[in-house]
Amino acid sequence: MKILEINNLTKSFGGVHAIDDVSFSVHRGEILAVIGPNGAGKTTLFNLITGIYSPSCGTINFCDEEIDGLTSYQIACKGIARTFQNLQIFNNMTVLENVMVGRHTKSKTGFLGAIVPIGHVQREEIDIIDKSLDRLAQVGLADKALEDASSLPYGQQKLLEIARAAALEPALLLLDEPAAGLNSTETRELVDIIYQLRDQGVTILLVEHDMETVMEIADRLVVLNFGNKLAEGTPYEIQNNQEVITAYLGEEGSVC
Amino acid sequence: MKDLLRRKRLRHSLIALFTVLIFALPFIISNNYYLSVLVIIGIHTTVAVGLCLLMGYAGQISLGHAGFYGLGAYASGILTSTYNISPWVAIIAGAIGTGIIAYVMGIPIFRLKEHYLALATLGLGLIIHVIFVEEVELTGGPSGLSKSIPPLSIGNLAIDTDSTFYFLVWAVALLAIIIANNVVHSRIGRALRSIHGSEFAAQSLGVDTGKFKLQIFALSAVYASVAGSLYAHYITFISPSPFGLMTSIQFMVMAVVGGLASIWGPIFGVTAITLLTEGLKTYVPLIYPQAGGEYEIVVFGLLLVIIMIFLPEGLTSGLVNIYERWRHRKERAHENP
Repeated sequence: MKILEINNLTKSFGGVHAIDDVSFSVHRGEILAVIGPNGAGKTTLFNLITGIYSPSCGTINFCDEEIDGLTSYQIACKGIARTFQNLQIFNNMTVLENVMVGRHTKSKTGFLGAIVPIGHVQREEIDIIDKSLDRLAQVGLADKALEDASSLPYGQQKLLEIARAAALEPALLLLDEPAAGLNSTETRELVDIIYQLRDQGVTILLVEHDMETVMEIADRLVVLNFGNKLAEGTPYEIQNNQEVITAYLGEEGSVC
Repeated sequence: MKDLLRRKRLRHSLIALFTVLIFALPFIISNNYYLSVLVIIGIHTTVAVGLCLLMGYAGQISLGHAGFYGLGAYASGILTSTYNISPWVAIIAGAIGTGIIAYVMGIPIFRLKEHYLALATLGLGLIIHVIFVEEVELTGGPSGLSKSIPPLSIGNLAIDTDSTFYFLVWAVALLAIIIANNVVHSRIGRALRSIHGSEFAAQSLGVDTGKFKLQIFALSAVYASVAGSLYAHYITFISPSPFGLMTSIQFMVMAVVGGLASIWGPIFGVTAITLLTEGLKTYVPLIYPQAGGEYEIVVFGLLLVIIMIFLPEGLTSGLVNIYERWRHRKERAHENP
């Protein structure tokens, strides 16, 4: 069962094809990793899926609905959440408030309700706090809830971003290099959190450079190189794919 | 959860304490000049609180708020003096009209960011000011409305003295603060602050940033409009000059000096700037008799630069930070004598 279907997707900046005729699908409930050398177009792909860029060509279908051309926030409302490679924490808010923003699409209070917070508005607020604290507990940050988000160390800020995205209860979660900059203990925590999310029914699409982690957690991989899809398959297939090895390590015997 | 409730209670008791203070003040101060300064502070506070919502929480800027302030003043002035409409209806009509104008004009303006946004709002303020000057039949042109504006009244009680006006103006300012406090600590407030924190991330979480920017711009314009209406009834005469660029800049300086990301900042900022302005009016002519009105802008400019360098978070949090540092140093001195 396909949750995300990408067909002949192309994005060019001027004459450069950052993504060139890429097609693949993400199945419901799987962990799919997109790998590739620097500049392969991985983050561009994420920005296309989440509506930050609009495609030059091709289509993106999410749950059998075309989402290319929608704006970023509309796509989030459909149930796609993401984290960012360069952290985008709300530094002007507490840890808990960061996650509470993640409940935005799951709550309804409008301006009038905000001005006169009675009855259901207060109940909704309490519900938002409860659910957000749960998400923080899941990534082990519940005891930091009331601290300023900017005061957290880098690794915890990354976990906070995941908690914030997960608070949206997305059907599909996009993680852009979640393990980058984490030490081995933090990476273990991260892997556990990703498995937990998957077990809760979230489909996960991630970009990652840490090969060991990727090969461990991904059900399938898509390899990009210079904007093209080079290969697609299970970790075992990818590790033994000659083209992939060449892209990563160079032609056998050509340099050394 | 407990900590959150404690914080909420603390905020509510601060507001309660402030309410008591504000309404006790006129019984201590009976001097009419001081009361009139406090009325002006109350009117400006209402504008500055709205501006703080826009600038401090949503991270947007407006250099055109004197225009909205003027729209409120002229709506009240014209509707009550020329058309004999009830002053309260006029205030509400002015507020709604101004809110709609801000929202509609905001649609193209808020496609812009930062400096460009500042310039566009400045332009909007100037255009509104030009209308006040040029629409002579409606506004009386540069010399102002010819008919006098009737006083406000509640039942048989006319609000036409400094002390009665004081209560009205501060009741409105308090309402503005309470509404702002509720908005800031709500789903809407978090959405606004998320725009300030990272617009990309806000959108990726489903926040329609464009819509929220417009809504908060309109709300802050409504604040300015209500304040303008009160100003018109207080002064009972209006001309275009108090609604120009200088006033917009003054509002912004008030908000920045007080501290943008705080509901209480505006009160300190407005008080500091209003007292400074009054002080300048009294003392500068004594020292330098030839001075025109322009020296104010020099002082504001200097003040803005000094605040931005030394207290970028404004007087309120800046002074709290300085106090915290001083206390830390004292504690450390105690530990290692």
